[in-house]
Amino acid sequence: MKIYLTILSFAFLLFSCNNKKESNATNTAKLNITDSATLARYERPSVNPYAAVDVSPMDMSYYPADYPKLKMAGSISSPPLARVIYSRPHLQGRHIFHEVLKYDEPWRLGANEATELDLYSDATIQNKKIKAGRYILYCIPHTDSWTIVINTNIDSWGLEPDAKNDVARFDVPVIKTNNSLEYFTIVFEKKGTTAELLMAWDNAEVRLPMRF
Amino acid sequence: MKKAFLLLMIFQLFLFSLLAQTLPPVDKSPMDMGYYPANYPVLKIQDKLTEPLAARVVYSRPQKAGRTIFGGLVKYGEVWRIGANEATEIEFFKQVHIGGKKVPKGRYTLFAIVNESSWTFIINKENDTWGSFRYDPKKDVVRTTVTVQKNDAVLESLAMAFEKATGGFNLIVAWDNVKAVLPVTF
Repeated sequence: MKIYLTILSFAFLLFSCNNKKESNATNTAKLNITDSATLARYERPSVNPYAAVDVSPMDMSYYPADYPKLKMAGSISSPPLARVIYSRPHLQGRHIFHEVLKYDEPWRLGANEATELDLYSDATIQNKKIKAGRYILYCIPHTDSWTIVINTNIDSWGLEPDAKNDVARFDVPVIKTNNSLEYFTIVFEKKGTTAELLMAWDNAEVRLPMRF
Repeated sequence: MKKAFLLLMIFQLFLFSLLAQTLPPVDKSPMDMGYYPANYPVLKIQDKLTEPLAARVVYSRPQKAGRTIFGGLVKYGEVWRIGANEATEIEFFKQVHIGGKKVPKGRYTLFAIVNESSWTFIINKENDTWGSFRYDPKKDVVRTTVTVQKNDAVLESLAMAFEKATGGFNLIVAWDNVKAVLPVTF
């Protein structure tokens, strides 16, 4: 058992250290990683009786990007315009399609809790007005485009998006990147007068432009 | 000293902006979220809710990593963001009472002044902020001091959780061998 654990942790070490070594570690990792619950037990240094540490860590992205840091540095005084709170699953040797996601099937754009979009100001997306408020986001990935959905079923767990609560759906093209991104990432980027909500994982990248 | 630290942070921000072309890496201190009722999102999709949503905390989880936490990394008597990175956010979805004071429904920042045997929890109106560098006591909504409990077990990652209590709920904050409880009543 100890040897098994050592091999497993060594495999992890390989990929956390260097992306290029990932392909060498992939085969070993694939043999061992069967389900995320098993994986989670090995990754945690100790049991936390209050709140277990998630395998897919949560993160937060503001628009303007890095708003809290800008505020701390005193270089911004206006309120933030938007924020996303999401969890960051990682590939762990898998490929986004079809090992993690399936084409044409809804995905919570993250892990665990549904991904939350906070609009602190009214936004316009593809000529549609979205009122300021708290929403969740999910997507339906297709081969060449992703459908990004804004939905009102807030504070929910992301497995079962309820289409009855959809506010709007937007189709955006997928860009195939040359590099593989280990952790799913959502950030806001400023492009001229537009904010782009960038969602990227493995070699797929989609951008949803919005105006405030 | 504080000024020097602030300058250092600004310098880091500058460095960060140079690196802004690359996407953000995973935080060393991962963020997490806790609800009252506990596990609200799961209960919601399972149709098992027995009481309405009352509170949520969003915080980052630094690890002990062999360090002395209280009285070391977290200095006694100083305002602490109770976490890492962004300041800890607490949202009440209905009006509550803390330390005998009414706290209206809304989003707040939660700080604490940590001492060896007691913590003073601070609910503050300055939201969307980083650390406690810009902490302004004028924006306090309420402060309340509680006695801390010492655990035998050492907790590697900072943890927060809500639990049911008489007339309301408690927010448990635990790290290393210390546990502090903030009582909230309806």
